[in-house]
Amino acid sequence: MNKAKFLKRILEIIPGGLSWTIIITLILLSVLRPVAGAIIIITFDFYWIIRTVYLTTLLILAHHRMTGQKNKDWFASCLGLPAGKGFRNLYQLVILPVYNEGLEVLRPSLDALSASHYLKEKFIVVVAFEERNIAARKNAQILEKEFGAKFGAYLSTFHPDGLAGERRTKGANATWAAKAAKSYIDSQEIPYERVVASCFDADTCVEPEYFGCLSYHFLTSDKPHQASYQPMPVYNNNIWQAPSFARLVEISSSFCQLIESMRLEKFVTFSSHSMSFKTLVEIDYWPTNMISDDSVIYWKGYLYYNGDYRVVPLYITVSMDVAYSSNIWRTIVVQYKQKRRWAWGVENFPFVINGFIKNKNISLLNKLRRSFHLLESHVTWAVWAVILAVIGYLPIFFGGYFFNQTAIAYNLPKIAGLLFRFTILTSLTWIFLSWTILPKRPKGISWLKNVVLVLEWFFVPAIILILGSFPAIDAQSRLMFAKYMEFNSTLKGNRVI
Amino acid sequence: MLNSQRIRSSLFYLSVFFFFAGLPFIIAFALGYKFNAHTLKFSKTGLIYIKTQPEGAKIYLNGKEMAERSPASIYELTPGVYKIVLELAQHYPWKGEVDIEAGKALRFDKVILFPLRPDMQQLNQERFSFFSIDTERKAVYYLDQENKVVYKSNLDGSNFEDVASLPDKFGQIIGWDISADKKKIFIFSYHQISVILFDAQPSHDYSDSPVLLDYPREKIISVFWHSDSYHLIVLTNKNVSVIESRPRAVPVNLIKLNKEDAVAFYDLKEDALYFSDSQRSPDGSFFNNLYKLELNSDLYLLGILRKKANE
Repeated sequence: MNKAKFLKRILEIIPGGLSWTIIITLILLSVLRPVAGAIIIITFDFYWIIRTVYLTTLLILAHHRMTGQKNKDWFASCLGLPAGKGFRNLYQLVILPVYNEGLEVLRPSLDALSASHYLKEKFIVVVAFEERNIAARKNAQILEKEFGAKFGAYLSTFHPDGLAGERRTKGANATWAAKAAKSYIDSQEIPYERVVASCFDADTCVEPEYFGCLSYHFLTSDKPHQASYQPMPVYNNNIWQAPSFARLVEISSSFCQLIESMRLEKFVTFSSHSMSFKTLVEIDYWPTNMISDDSVIYWKGYLYYNGDYRVVPLYITVSMDVAYSSNIWRTIVVQYKQKRRWAWGVENFPFVINGFIKNKNISLLNKLRRSFHLLESHVTWAVWAVILAVIGYLPIFFGGYFFNQTAIAYNLPKIAGLLFRFTILTSLTWIFLSWTILPKRPKGISWLKNVVLVLEWFFVPAIILILGSFPAIDAQSRLMFAKYMEFNSTLKGNRVI
Repeated sequence: MLNSQRIRSSLFYLSVFFFFAGLPFIIAFALGYKFNAHTLKFSKTGLIYIKTQPEGAKIYLNGKEMAERSPASIYELTPGVYKIVLELAQHYPWKGEVDIEAGKALRFDKVILFPLRPDMQQLNQERFSFFSIDTERKAVYYLDQENKVVYKSNLDGSNFEDVASLPDKFGQIIGWDISADKKKIFIFSYHQISVILFDAQPSHDYSDSPVLLDYPREKIISVFWHSDSYHLIVLTNKNVSVIESRPRAVPVNLIKLNKEDAVAFYDLKEDALYFSDSQRSPDGSFFNNLYKLELNSDLYLLGILRKKANE
């Protein structure tokens, strides 16, 4: 094993190793040194209370910002910009990578694009099929017929299977599509800096004002090419039809993005996002051999611009499908796999650290800070629910007679109870906010679903464990043992997305 | 956005401040430490948790009434001996003395405060000699030896009624029991067993109720109902026998006993008789054995054989 490979393996082991070390150490302490274990658990409980209050406050602030910008006519705002900003010469490249999704998924996404309140002739839409998908060519023909004339340009691309250096990932397909779009852009002699590229999941339905909002921020931002633009993902397409816990998980995911949008120094692109096409070309597109292409693209930009690269939050939603299946068990499996894929973002850690080692222009402080944030977020993701829901009670069970006579043994469950009450309090805030982002209840859905929407929040403790910590531990352990994950698309409702 | 970031930064540093400022107090509290604002020092204390049944009792520590009512945790007690009094109106007070140790939690969670006027009621409406409680059927049976009557009532004494008459000429009753089907009762004296069908229980097997079964040459020690509510297992000073509860029935002696005062227990669920008997050792001394005799209709013969083999 050469030095680079050895370093990569070490970096791959660190997140999982750290998570497992924390879990095992706390379990051992709970059994062998219950007083020390209890002190650490109480410290963590208290930290979590503070953190929950802090994050909920950020959520409220972000939600307030999003609500304030709701129904804003961004297109009119763009038209109101000085001519020198060049709004009318700004092109929107939209790439929709398709895995196995059928027309029933793609049509609503393209419908939403065509309904955009924007200059249609400035759209370059690329529907990026996988060549190995046998229905790809037929579907491409149908969609070209239906939507070809609705945009300035409409391309269908077919990503060949098994190209050297590639894995079967969304990023590989998106990169192939972006290169095809580059040929078109070159042929039209459009300057790259006048193109904004958006890479959307196939089920992404944008709001009519999305491209107005994106253009406005792009044109008014300081260093617009040194930024990614991140809308707020919500899972409203089928949220009323999805089972409770699946809905709950996705609402929580949306809220996490909202919270992250307030922490700009940690904010990283996720799922559907946009960026300068010029930058995309310069940084050599999305990674073609990594699953978490949506976040790696940010890190590529960050490394390319020596740390002077950021994510600009767009307080406008893009709506996707809640992942669910025909029954609860299958839905749990689908959700679990999706969350594990998200948690596979831990592969960013070796990528980023390697990049930091090679890059001599980013300050050491920035490198340390960003590395710590990245590592801390993944390790916390893996361990926090395990500590709160399981390990927190172990000293009581395994502490023995002597420990159970101590004041700390008596106080440990009391403090855990306090944490639980705080969680309920913050949950109430989350319940209220979740109501405000829900789409109108469709006809045929019982009003009782409203009640279920509230009651489902009481399943949070179980859900955070099963669909929070476990997939993250799973992903980190796989990376740790070099059992690299393959991209698997997520089954959403009856559709493969 | 800049403003939001400022708010966020302020919130972040505020959270960090609360965490680091609050943590020492939380940990100290958890470990049982008390912070003295005057000396600015922590001193280690103990705590006591008191739970009473019923709840709501006043708590006195060394004669001083606490603000809390049970169940309650009283924190920050300096180590030492405390006198505790728990008081609840209309109940006997509970008094005790506890030794509070630093860093320890003492739990009194099994305190029952008994009422001054216990909730007591008389169930019987007639005199009786013996009684038996049937929790399954929620009934009380009373046996009046003097007037030769069996009464029955509910567990609260309601529906008190006589359900059977005992035979006129019967010796001193040693024991009695009600059958599993709750339709009949046996009583026994040293040499006689009588099975009496409860009133309003038509049965062709008991047209001659009461049935009288005599043991003139043996002294009856214990009698048990078999689960079929028809056979009786009889332990005398000489034998373990089984007898049908019908007139002129003949006992089947299953086991011959060495000991005259054997003790027995009958497991009605499994139809198994546990009894003690003595055995002579080679050196001539006697020692006790405990036997299990299975009287399930399929197995009891096997039990007999086992016992005989052991002998």
